[in-house]
Amino acid sequence: MIYEQDRTENLDACIKCSACTAMCPVAAVNPLFPGPKVLGPDAERFRLEGLQIGAALLNYCSKCRTCEITCPSGVKITEMITRAQENAKLSGSGKNLQSNIRDYLFGRAEYLGKLATILPGLTNTLLRTPLFRQVLEQALGISSEAPLPTYRKKFNPFGEGHKNRKQVVYFPGCFVTYNDPPTGHAITKVLEHNGYEVIVPPFHCCSTPLEGNGYVREAKETAKKNLALMNPYIRAGVPLITGCTSCGTALKEYAGLDVSASELQAYDLFEFLWALHEQSEFRTDFKEVQVSLGYHSSCHLKAQGIGTPSVRLLRLIPGVRVTDLDQGCCGLSGSYGFKKEKYDTAMQIGNPVFERVRHGVANDEFQSVITECGGCQVQIRHGSGTETFHPVWVLMQAYGLE
Amino acid sequence: MWDGIIIGGGLAGLTAGIRAAERGKQILIISEGAGSLTYSSGALDFGDVGQLLSHEDHPYALLGETVVHAGMEWFQNLFPDYRGSWSEFQEILTPLGAPRKAGIVPRSHNTEPLKNAKVIILMAPYGLKDFFPEIIKTNLLKAYPQCEVEIFPFRTGTFESWHTIGKPVTGMDYTKYWQSQPGVSELKRLLDSLPQTSGETVILFPGLAAAFCEPLKEVLAGTPFPVIEMTSFPPSACGHNLYSALKQKFKSLGGELLTGTGVQSIESHNKVCSRAIVRSKGRPTAFSADSFILATGGIFGGGIEATADTAQETVLGLPLYVPAQWTNSEFLGEQPYARIGIEADRELRPVGPGGKEVLFKNLRVIGRMLAHWDPWTETCGGGVSLATGWFAGNQL
Ligand SMILES: Cc1cc2nc3c(=O)[nH]c(=O)nc-3n(C[C@H](O)[C@H](O)[C@H](O)COP(=O)(O)OP(=O)(O)OC[C@H]3O[C@@H](n4cnc5c(N)ncnc54)[C@H](O)[C@@H]3O)c2cc1C
Ligand code: SF4
Ligand code: SF4
Repeated sequence: MIYEQDRTENLDACIKCSACTAMCPVAAVNPLFPGPKVLGPDAERFRLEGLQIGAALLNYCSKCRTCEITCPSGVKITEMITRAQENAKLSGSGKNLQSNIRDYLFGRAEYLGKLATILPGLTNTLLRTPLFRQVLEQALGISSEAPLPTYRKKFNPFGEGHKNRKQVVYFPGCFVTYNDPPTGHAITKVLEHNGYEVIVPPFHCCSTPLEGNGYVREAKETAKKNLALMNPYIRAGVPLITGCTSCGTALKEYAGLDVSASELQAYDLFEFLWALHEQSEFRTDFKEVQVSLGYHSSCHLKAQGIGTPSVRLLRLIPGVRVTDLDQGCCGLSGSYGFKKEKYDTAMQIGNPVFERVRHGVANDEFQSVITECGGCQVQIRHGSGTETFHPVWVLMQAYGLE
Repeated sequence: MWDGIIIGGGLAGLTAGIRAAERGKQILIISEGAGSLTYSSGALDFGDVGQLLSHEDHPYALLGETVVHAGMEWFQNLFPDYRGSWSEFQEILTPLGAPRKAGIVPRSHNTEPLKNAKVIILMAPYGLKDFFPEIIKTNLLKAYPQCEVEIFPFRTGTFESWHTIGKPVTGMDYTKYWQSQPGVSELKRLLDSLPQTSGETVILFPGLAAAFCEPLKEVLAGTPFPVIEMTSFPPSACGHNLYSALKQKFKSLGGELLTGTGVQSIESHNKVCSRAIVRSKGRPTAFSADSFILATGGIFGGGIEATADTAQETVLGLPLYVPAQWTNSEFLGEQPYARIGIEADRELRPVGPGGKEVLFKNLRVIGRMLAHWDPWTETCGGGVSLATGWFAGNQL
């Protein structure tokens, strides 16, 4: 009941100023998308009465939360839309069979990855074959132009294995595991360099893709499996670290499932390193690194509400210059931009980011772009033609670990 | 770890942040939302400074004339796209086309050229929301009786699909388009297609917002007649562009801006604030600093929670000045609740009831959080936020 009351109150807070819709990156490029005001507080009125409005359109929202940040009345617009999506999903409206299969697959980045990395060479060749991409588009609605990431030989966390009194659990996530193992090794080395033993249990996907594709119940089950694997470490007070901002958001949301917020010590990699720095426990035996970088803050990092610790930390390295690109969403938003009906929208959403990057490179402000999110890396490289990588690589260079 | 943490990133908070960062300070701004600039006109009103300086508790009076003046100068040096003058008001047009006075305005909004114009061409973008060309025409004829006003309707290809489904195009949408590459070329083509008349023609162009956009300014500078803009109803592209410009300036000076979540409390002992506790995902995060600035925007910004009979400062629970009689029945008259806020000393530090005791030694309060001023009847919203923000950033 209290919940229903909250819903109504939050709804009444809307002063109908339309600022949210004016700032929504999807509404700006897709006239068919009615925008956050209509899909959020306006439609919520009908939803409270049990009427589902515009269920098919809800899926166009990329969940970037720009609307919420803009709203002067604190209306939780994205939350309303997400909840409506979940309900629409449960009642089966808004999707056809094709998008159901595709969303099923994208929701399971882990299975996709396992399949693809059995023979990564073959997968990549296929993914680069136009004919195969046409087939994917026709059969599954996966855009033939979208920058599907390259698959590599699966991340093998063992092999470093320094034993130490101080321990962390590392959650690599699907992108590192199946597409970018070297970054996983880099993160391990940086943590080891700072005196930590890095433990990597055989985790499942963090569940963000499931949730993003509307599989809420499955997302919870996966989360619980991961929690069971973490449990002994959580009990022993071992911090849990990830270098992926989407996994980071998901892991922090595990609090409240089978574990309390105070027990679960989940950190973004740079958030953790910054905390070490504040306790004077972070190693700053840096070599000078002469490099200028553009920094893109992913939506999932913004959602964590921890600021931009990687920028803070990299600026401690002599020679490193970091420019915050200060732009919105890159448009990919998980697997949103891979979908055929959303590819164009995604590219248009990301356009301000791409233009900012091209402008920065042309004016010698920076040479390449760093961002923690693997998806953003792929999309910004695709959209701007500029090299992108995880900020941990700058630390690797500064420590001379490369 | 930081020299200063600013809570609230609206006009006041960002101004303080930029001023402090310019002076080499390490600054973190934590702001739940984007502040109220997007709802403002984009022009900064200072009100009748001379008169307000004589109101005993008014923020201007706390700071003194030199500081208010310094804030205004500083802003114009920071953003040459804006113009103001200490000795005279600037004139701009309301969304309905009536002239009004303001303190610092985007150069392209200044109505100066209209005073000598014979013909005003009012551009009428098709489907522009909250745009009333006929009313504007009437108001222009009243204010500039020497002029003829011609309405020039036009439509651009980009919004055709919007028009087809009857979706209104906001000024923000038009602005975003004009600022894109295809938009710039289209604007040039459009302005070139206007009838070439004598030097006494002025173009009035709603939904443009050229300030801070180099390619647009270039196009406008190349036209044979002056092109001026008008303010719009909220949300306003012009106000939003000012917000973006402030944000970019702050970041380019090395400042860090954390948006999307707010400060739930501040830890302190012996009247010294030490850590801001942020509502971050999963568990709260603490950020430490030497100094703090509270710029949470009053009732509209969320820094003060007001119900029918109580008002509360949301972060530290600071005492508030609350006028005896809250609301005033006189429509458009003085609303005493506008003056609710925190009372401060000349250093803008919060003081207890009676005004003697400083409650926190390293905390300053700025902008809409301060008591004893009313942006609506005194039209000094931008001026107070700018002056108090500049001062706090300068002292930090
Ligand atoms: C509708 C409207 C129209 C206006 N028009 C004009 C005009 O035409 N000319 C003019 O000169 N002035 C105008 N003003 C006034 C002027 O814009 C204000 O003086 C000024 O914007 C106030 O700035 P501020 O920084 O104090 O507050 P705000 O801009 O409101 O910023 C406060 C910020 O603090 C954040 N915040 C609140 N609580 C927390 C928390 N606990 N933790 C973190 N962050 C928090 C909010 O999210 C917000 O971003 C207008 C104001 C409004 C509301
Ligand atoms: S979350 Fe982003 S895409 Fe979705 S409605 Fe809000 S602003 Fe638009
Ligand atoms: S910004 Fe907030 S108050 Fe304004 S229309 Fe959107 S939901 Fe309503």
